[in-house]
Amino acid sequence: MKKLPKQLISLKVNGYEYEVAVRPNRTLLEVLREDLRLTGTKEGCDDGACGTCTVLLEGVPIRSCLCLAVEAKGKEVTTIEGLAEGDQLHPIQQAFVDHGAIQCGYCTPGMIMTTVGLLLKNPQPSEKEILIGLEDNLCRCGAHNRIVKAVQTAATEMKGGKLS
Amino acid sequence: MRLPNFEYCEPATLEEVLSLLEENKGDTRVLAGGTDLIPLMKYGLDVPSTIVSLKNVTALKGILQQDKEVFIGAMTSLAELWSSAIIKDNFPALHQAVEAVAAPPIWNVATLGGNICQNSRCLYYNQSKAWRLEKPPCLKAGGNICHAVPKGKQCFSVYSGDLAPALIALRSSVAVKKKNQSRTTPLQEIFSGHGLAPFTLAKDELVTGVILPLPGRGVGSRYVKMRVRSAVDYPLLSAAASLTLGGRRRIEKAVLVLGAVGPTPIVVETDQLFVGSTIDLVNHDALSKILRQGTQMVDNLALPGSYRRRMLPVVAQKAIQGALKSIAKRENR
Repeated sequence: MKKLPKQLISLKVNGYEYEVAVRPNRTLLEVLREDLRLTGTKEGCDDGACGTCTVLLEGVPIRSCLCLAVEAKGKEVTTIEGLAEGDQLHPIQQAFVDHGAIQCGYCTPGMIMTTVGLLLKNPQPSEKEILIGLEDNLCRCGAHNRIVKAVQTAATEMKGGKLS
Repeated sequence: MRLPNFEYCEPATLEEVLSLLEENKGDTRVLAGGTDLIPLMKYGLDVPSTIVSLKNVTALKGILQQDKEVFIGAMTSLAELWSSAIIKDNFPALHQAVEAVAAPPIWNVATLGGNICQNSRCLYYNQSKAWRLEKPPCLKAGGNICHAVPKGKQCFSVYSGDLAPALIALRSSVAVKKKNQSRTTPLQEIFSGHGLAPFTLAKDELVTGVILPLPGRGVGSRYVKMRVRSAVDYPLLSAAASLTLGGRRRIEKAVLVLGAVGPTPIVVETDQLFVGSTIDLVNHDALSKILRQGTQMVDNLALPGSYRRRMLPVVAQKAIQGALKSIAKRENR
């Protein structure tokens, strides 16, 4: 089958501007992991249902496995790699570590990115609002209780829920 | 799963979109949020040669209240719909239907038009190529066998959208355009009733928006979704009810629409049952009888058709009672 030409697109990821040559059939997830070597974002179901591929696009959580890279060109993307500042973990990451909310770690990047989006919109969520906010991030290990506690701690730590 | 190759266009205006649809009739798909199309492409179920991105077409976005109508552009995201006070205050069933769709990260990209025009679904169809290679292709996948119903000669795939039943109950019309032509039609008219091709829309037609009449006094609505988990899943069964109460609490008008009961939402004939009576007099057995008409529930979703049929009157009653409560809520505001 005839391969169609690549497009040169600019992706702003975690504050850096990258230029990548991609065919339209590459998803944002593939380009982040394979072209930009940002492997923190994971591929789970590849279907939009598990949440582990969640990144922020212009500050709101989206499923990177369902987003064509060309659809995200010129837009701000934030991945799990964009949260820490040098050695200083983001309060949400720190809270996950402190509460032991990371078992196998596979759901974790998606959980944390969805939490970033949640706290941006609702800086002091109730337990119920956290459960609803994270309802589409699946965790097979069963770390749910500790994840909720970590989000509660992070919400308290972060004043106003802003990305630091 | 890798996506197949395709030509990608990113037109700036609606006119360009319609021209592209006309030129590439049949083998072109528009891309809105992609939450239905991209998985279908990954599974090898839909392999268009051209994709037309709607991301730059701002004319398709927005919620506009004008006179006694509200117009919602097809590219309005579910997140925008959910946050809209116009929708929440006037059309509770639509607000509840949006809330019932998947989860907030999906709402951020999913659109009104995309949710309405999603393809019908079946346990045996919406599977990867590798899974489906274990069996001969089904009717919807281009074969000549139905795996859900042995010896079945028609496709029983289920229309699983949440918004359409609520919109139909709210008496919505849909605006459809193709090059040099526009039309407006009641929303239920775009459904064909056939699982193989669930829509009556032509290949070069585009849904551009939905028009809802603003409700007067004494009107309430509700959308109820039954699913395995309390979040995320597609419906096993759903019902949307809109009721208008007149003097002495008698029902003047009633619309009851069922979702996930077959290849199309079903508008239930409720006039004989409801109109003129008060809600307490609705006969449960009579309701159960008329609910079955037109529905085709087989074992092609997560739970059996027999269970979903038994739950029909329960879900319908919840929608009716919920619509009543919303009338009181609206009047107390």
